Amino acid sequence: MIRTELKRGTAELAILSVLEQQPLHGYEISRHIEQDSGGALRFTLAALYPLLYRMENRGWVRGEWETSDNGRRRRCYKLLPRGRKMLAPLRAEWADLFRAMRRVAKVNHA
Amino acid sequence: MLDWLAYVNHRLSRLPLSEAEALQVMEELAAHLEDDYLSLRAQGVSESEAVRLACAQVSSWRELRRDILSAKLEGFMQNRVSQLWIPGLVTLFSAYALLALMQFAGLRAMTSHPGEPRGIVLYLPWILSLPLIGAVGAYLSRRAQATGWRVYFAASLPALALGVFFLLILPWSFVVDPQVPLHTKGTALAALMVSWVILPGFALCLGVALQSLRKMSVPRS
Repeated sequence: MIRTELKRGTAELAILSVLEQQPLHGYEISRHIEQDSGGALRFTLAALYPLLYRMENRGWVRGEWETSDNGRRRRCYKLLPRGRKMLAPLRAEWADLFRAMRRVAKVNHA
Repeated sequence: MLDWLAYVNHRLSRLPLSEAEALQVMEELAAHLEDDYLSLRAQGVSESEAVRLACAQVSSWRELRRDILSAKLEGFMQNRVSQLWIPGLVTLFSAYALLALMQFAGLRAMTSHPGEPRGIVLYLPWILSLPLIGAVGAYLSRRAQATGWRVYFAASLPALALGVFFLLILPWSFVVDPQVPLHTKGTALAALMVSWVILPGFALCLGVALQSLRKMSVPRS
């Protein structure tokens, strides 16, 4: 069964996937997603932070303030075990969606 | 360069969060905009264009404000359930289930003035077991990341609930028993408060304090 919250699901999976590799602050998260998707996915500030706060409330990620060498403070997000556990079902959900869309839209891999 | 913190502060205008939390949100958003601006500048974009492009990340500050508050409220509600109500209901149920069991097993109350409304009622074994129940409530509340008054509230809910109940029935007693003098009612209320609110509340809070000591003595791994 594919969830109806398609848009939010995409964003959650993208954020969890980049945080699986390393802890990042908000701006880095958006840059990594953009780079890893070849520019196809872009997260604006307005889309990113409400979602990060929700994911933090659910215990998927945790943000901690860090001060860099040049004295600038950044809130760095780290993937928590509960968030790591969410990755597998989210990936399975998206695999289901792609399979379904391939059947419906007759789309083949390039 | 634009003062990004002042810019975000102006745009979000008084987020109805705690002062510290609102400042953290604004500082985080300002840092993001500043990073974006600096990245654009490093790519050779002119200053005014870099500011324009960074600011264009938010098409509607009103919507962003609403989305942030909605996300924070979701967390607040989740926290309230896991930090206050679940531990509170566990202590409430445990405390009174234990008292009922003790009474069923034949426990009799010690009373300072038997048969009189001013008599203080004391179920000593029950009172002595309350610190353990308070400690369990504190543990559950702290496990949900609660701190400060939330932990004490959750642990002492059995006493607080009865305290509120007694205060609510006092005005009702003026309706159903108008002939009973005020000082008699006041004395009876004071006795009830001591027997069922103050002493049990103290015992439950003692459990919170003991649980805090234990938490401090356990070394972090």
